[in-house]
Amino acid sequence: MSGAWQFYISTLLIYLGVDVMACWGLNLQFGYAGLVNFSFIIFQAAGAYTAAVLTLGRPTPADFQTYVGGAHWPFPLPFLAAAVAGALLAAGVGAIGLRRLRADYEAMVMLVVSLIATSVVTNATGLVNGANGLDLVPPPLLGVVHLGPLAYQWFYVGLTAALCLLVYLVVHRITGSPLGRSLRAMRENEPAAAALGRNVTQLRLAAFVVGGAIAGLSGAVLVQFLSAWSPGAWLYPETFVYFTAVIVGGSGNNLGAAVGALLVPVAFLEAVRFLPPFGPPGLIDAIQWIVIGLLAMVFLWFWPRGIVPERRRRFPRRIPSRSAADGPAR
Amino acid sequence: MGLILAAVGFGVITASILALAGVGFTLQFGVTNVLNLAFGSTMTAAAFVAYVVSQSAPLVVAVAAGGAFGAVFSVLVNRFVFMPFIHRGTRLFGMIIVTLSMGLVVQYSLQAIFGASFFSLPDIGGPTFHLGSFAITGPQVGILGLGLVAMACVHVLLRYTTLGKAMRATATNSDLARSCGIATDRVIDVAWAISGCLCGLAGVALALDVTAFTDTTGGDFLIPIIAVAVLGGVGQPYGAMLGALVVGVASEVAAAVISPDYKDAVAFVILILVLLVRPQGILAEVSGAKEVAS
Repeated sequence: MSGAWQFYISTLLIYLGVDVMACWGLNLQFGYAGLVNFSFIIFQAAGAYTAAVLTLGRPTPADFQTYVGGAHWPFPLPFLAAAVAGALLAAGVGAIGLRRLRADYEAMVMLVVSLIATSVVTNATGLVNGANGLDLVPPPLLGVVHLGPLAYQWFYVGLTAALCLLVYLVVHRITGSPLGRSLRAMRENEPAAAALGRNVTQLRLAAFVVGGAIAGLSGAVLVQFLSAWSPGAWLYPETFVYFTAVIVGGSGNNLGAAVGALLVPVAFLEAVRFLPPFGPPGLIDAIQWIVIGLLAMVFLWFWPRGIVPERRRRFPRRIPSRSAADGPAR
Repeated sequence: MGLILAAVGFGVITASILALAGVGFTLQFGVTNVLNLAFGSTMTAAAFVAYVVSQSAPLVVAVAAGGAFGAVFSVLVNRFVFMPFIHRGTRLFGMIIVTLSMGLVVQYSLQAIFGASFFSLPDIGGPTFHLGSFAITGPQVGILGLGLVAMACVHVLLRYTTLGKAMRATATNSDLARSCGIATDRVIDVAWAISGCLCGLAGVALALDVTAFTDTTGGDFLIPIIAVAVLGGVGQPYGAMLGALVVGVASEVAAAVISPDYKDAVAFVILILVLLVRPQGILAEVSGAKEVAS
């Protein structure tokens, strides 16, 4: 395989890793807990900014960009900090925004939160350099591994894959546990879940915070690879791409979310790159968004459960009685 | 002081546009219970229709064409997209995705057709009026007049006609209205038509007010519209009129006093505060509030 192709494919794999992580995070919130988080992208952005600032070092007056803080933290720490930043932001937004509103009002609150975040980051130029964003973020471990550009690409693919695996283990552990069952119960019928003694507020916040942490981590992986990040990269329609991905793949199951990430943000948006350019500039971009919108509608119409539908869970009709070894029933 | 007075004046102009859009939005939401996130894009589409018509006809015709397009387009979208989804059992958050997709499709179709550049409706000129330090241009007088006339029409429709009564009944309790013999399906169609007409007029008014509009103009205006509707209490046209005045004046005053960058932030903050503190809106006692909290 030629170098150019290797470069291209490794880049795609890294994007795939980022999108799969993000879709798992969103799926935890939307697919499992039923939270319509239209501000999902800001948690990815928070992680990206955190990771960028923590690797860029202190800004000097001669620097072309201004930002708050700045440090040269060694490799795993910026990624960890990004996840923490995503989680903290989610805890803050969730504590204020996750009231018991009807689903469409909740979506609206989150949409507005996303717009406010964009407005604040763009206007407060001292925070993370406003609309121009941050640039020249150094890639992690470059000084340690001593690899050429191509080999480093593949090294980063491996790193992304490892982090994906980590996220999968976390998400799988949650969704397969009684906690995951509680989340699904809440999604299906919130009053019933509450009546059975589940603390619905806590469950929603838990899903929101874990999803936020995963989004933050995905942002860190993305920014350390791209080495630049600005408000243009996280406008609210980007959240919609992830929603479409989760719906197309199949919400409420992790395989479905991963399939959606492969199909929508990666395969579909990349395939357009191979079309011969036509029309005035911006036309292809516009058509891409039209098709993303149509894709979401078509899937909600024909396959609302997605390509990989959520497994229908069956429970035995009679709950087997406890064996004597369990001791007396409490 | 003069600065604030002028800001209040501009706020009233903005409020006229917000009232057109907000009343349209809230009427349709109240009657059909669909949160239509494609509303902003429909406004832009109407502005583009008015733009095309204004190339070969006087501006009044163009404004009417914008309103007519809004009405027809809204009814068609409801009939052939939203309603089928609801009948198919798409749930609440599914419908948000559907309307948001519709908005994206409309907005980017406009971009694909017209390109991402700026357009202007022809300037009708006209005299500029001076009220102290506040100067108001011909188009702005037109916008103000359009807003007032439309609000008066809505008032007459809702209070003094059988159709208005049927709409209010459907908004309050559609099942009960249907069992009382009201053809709720037809009422819903009419609600979409009126809401769409107001939406189209608001789009044209917005295009006149900002002087240069593009494919994102209406979409950017969506959050203030929702703020107006929610502030006034969803489904309550009179609340929306009041909300429009509050949001319009508050955002222009904030733009004058603090910074134009934060003009939209006022609407955002009002919306979030109302949703968190008083989601039923300011006029909730007036009629049975729609269920907002789950």
